[in-house]
Amino acid sequence: MVQKVLEVEKLKVGINDDGRKIAIVNGISFTLEKGETLGIVGESGCGKSMTSLSLMGLLPPGVEWLEGDIQTHDLHFKKFNKQDWRKVRGKRIAMIFQEPMSSLNPVYTIGKQIMEMILSHEHVSKQQARDRALEMLKLVGIPRPEQVLDEYPYQLSGGMRQRVMIAIALSCNPEILIADEPTTALDVTIQAQILELMKKLQEQLHMSIVLITHDLGVVAEMCNRVIVMYAGEIVEEAKVVDLFDETKHPYTKGLLASLPDIADEKEYLSSIPGIVPAPENMPSGCRFAPRCPNVHQRCMEAPPLFDVKGSKVKCWLYEHGDSEVVM
Amino acid sequence: MIGYVIRRLFHTVLVVFAISLLIFFSIRLTGDPVSVMLSAGEPSKEAIAQLKANLGLDKPLYVQYFIFLKGLVMFDFGESFRSGGPVIDLIMDKAGATLALAVGGILVSIVIAIPVGILSAVKRGTFVDFFGRVFSLMGISFPNFWLGIMLILIFAVNLKWLPSSGFDGPQNLILPSITLGMILSGILARLVRSSMLEVMNQQYISTAKSKGISDWAVIIKHAFRNALLPTVTFIGLQFGSLLGGAVIVEQIFSWPGIGRLIIDAINQRDYPVVQGGVIFLSIIMVFVNLVVDLSYSLIDPRIKSGGSGHA
Repeated sequence: MVQKVLEVEKLKVGINDDGRKIAIVNGISFTLEKGETLGIVGESGCGKSMTSLSLMGLLPPGVEWLEGDIQTHDLHFKKFNKQDWRKVRGKRIAMIFQEPMSSLNPVYTIGKQIMEMILSHEHVSKQQARDRALEMLKLVGIPRPEQVLDEYPYQLSGGMRQRVMIAIALSCNPEILIADEPTTALDVTIQAQILELMKKLQEQLHMSIVLITHDLGVVAEMCNRVIVMYAGEIVEEAKVVDLFDETKHPYTKGLLASLPDIADEKEYLSSIPGIVPAPENMPSGCRFAPRCPNVHQRCMEAPPLFDVKGSKVKCWLYEHGDSEVVM
Repeated sequence: MIGYVIRRLFHTVLVVFAISLLIFFSIRLTGDPVSVMLSAGEPSKEAIAQLKANLGLDKPLYVQYFIFLKGLVMFDFGESFRSGGPVIDLIMDKAGATLALAVGGILVSIVIAIPVGILSAVKRGTFVDFFGRVFSLMGISFPNFWLGIMLILIFAVNLKWLPSSGFDGPQNLILPSITLGMILSGILARLVRSSMLEVMNQQYISTAKSKGISDWAVIIKHAFRNALLPTVTFIGLQFGSLLGGAVIVEQIFSWPGIGRLIIDAINQRDYPVVQGGVIFLSIIMVFVNLVVDLSYSLIDPRIKSGGSGHA
């Protein structure tokens, strides 16, 4: 029996412009199981970061939670006040960000920044918190952890800083880790190390990871299941193997086709024509229709998510199960 | 660190030397002190020559400068043309009042501007921010003589709560400090607000929020601490300019400060007092800048005092 640690139900997040609601994330639902890594993929502006920020209750000013709920065990985030959020952040759900170079506060030591997290959630003495901080630095593979504890962020490299961020995030043993493009800003070799570390720690600590990325290579490496988002909606949800082997949605196909292939000597990389429509200018039917190579009459109407052999696809082509169109 | 301080002290000597040149020659462009001093009646040529000789003004200019410089090395600013007393005594007599007023003005501005600036930034776009910005604008636009006179009218003349002039005790400090502080706090509040807004957009603020600590811990510990650098720089510079530039406020409150001393001395062409006063203020100014620069390394660990020079 798989245990669900997070359930997102019809979550709608957007801008409330004098009563005119413009959804950035438009009624998405998904679950996260214990110990799994769920990837959320999509172009810039598809709503994946807004989704992750709503899981933390950290939506930027001007962006509101419009509808739906998020639930972890018996907690319903919809009903949360400030105090409730504070208890969840860091303790149950922790987050690491894209830019390790700027996600640590430059004026405090590494040790202080880890200890702050521990002291705000647990009743321990400063010395105990410091010991735990040291333990965390060792856990994430920081060389000479005793010294690093008293060093400042500027004294560390990008990869080391991301390790410190992971140490901070995991210091209160959260059930869920949200990683928003954790390796995008790093060198390729460092990327691999950080991904390896996250995998190892996931097994060790039995946590679930929500991995936000636009890098399908990272998805293949890390995830069990994947959600593909387009224009604030989920267009495909599948096991990672199925996503690559039996790609369904035309958008996902376009994404995969635009990956460069070393064996293929093409002069130009293929791309999806057009751009993601702006939230206030969404097409009324299928949101991908204006860019879709398989667009037809039916697409004037918004498709639901169809269940197709264990995957979910938001496309009329799959109305009767498998696609009838040969592409 | 020590090496840095020594280097900076050496700079100070150069700065003081440059200022001595500037002030020595520019004050001599204002006119002849003897004609001011002997303005009553028709002085005879002998009397003029006599006075010039007494004051040492008969010697060639470069010799006069050399004598001035020689005194300077031993902190001897010479004697006042007017009173005949040593300039250093005149300055020391007023230094306490000037320092007290500068410190008072800075304190008032800090106490008002920092909370206003922080609240304005945190509540950006709300009516709190609106009032904060109106306050800043008033602080910047009110002429300080007007504010000073209003305060005197209300608190000294009508309510009779506080003295309007002189420097006999701490209660004398209140009105002039508020006058100076209000004006300064307008600019300071704007500076704090804009630095806070810049810092609050940084990624590490999101990190701090994601830890589940309180909003105020995020604002004060994480945001304000980082917004402190421009704030301290500004306060340091203002402190320097208050030492010499509070002349108007000193006039309104009959404050016995160095600013007034220098203005009076300029009017009377009392060269040694002007020179001494300016040199004294510039030494303090350089010293305050040094303290501000040293404080940077305490505020921000990325800045090492030995590193690139902050002038």
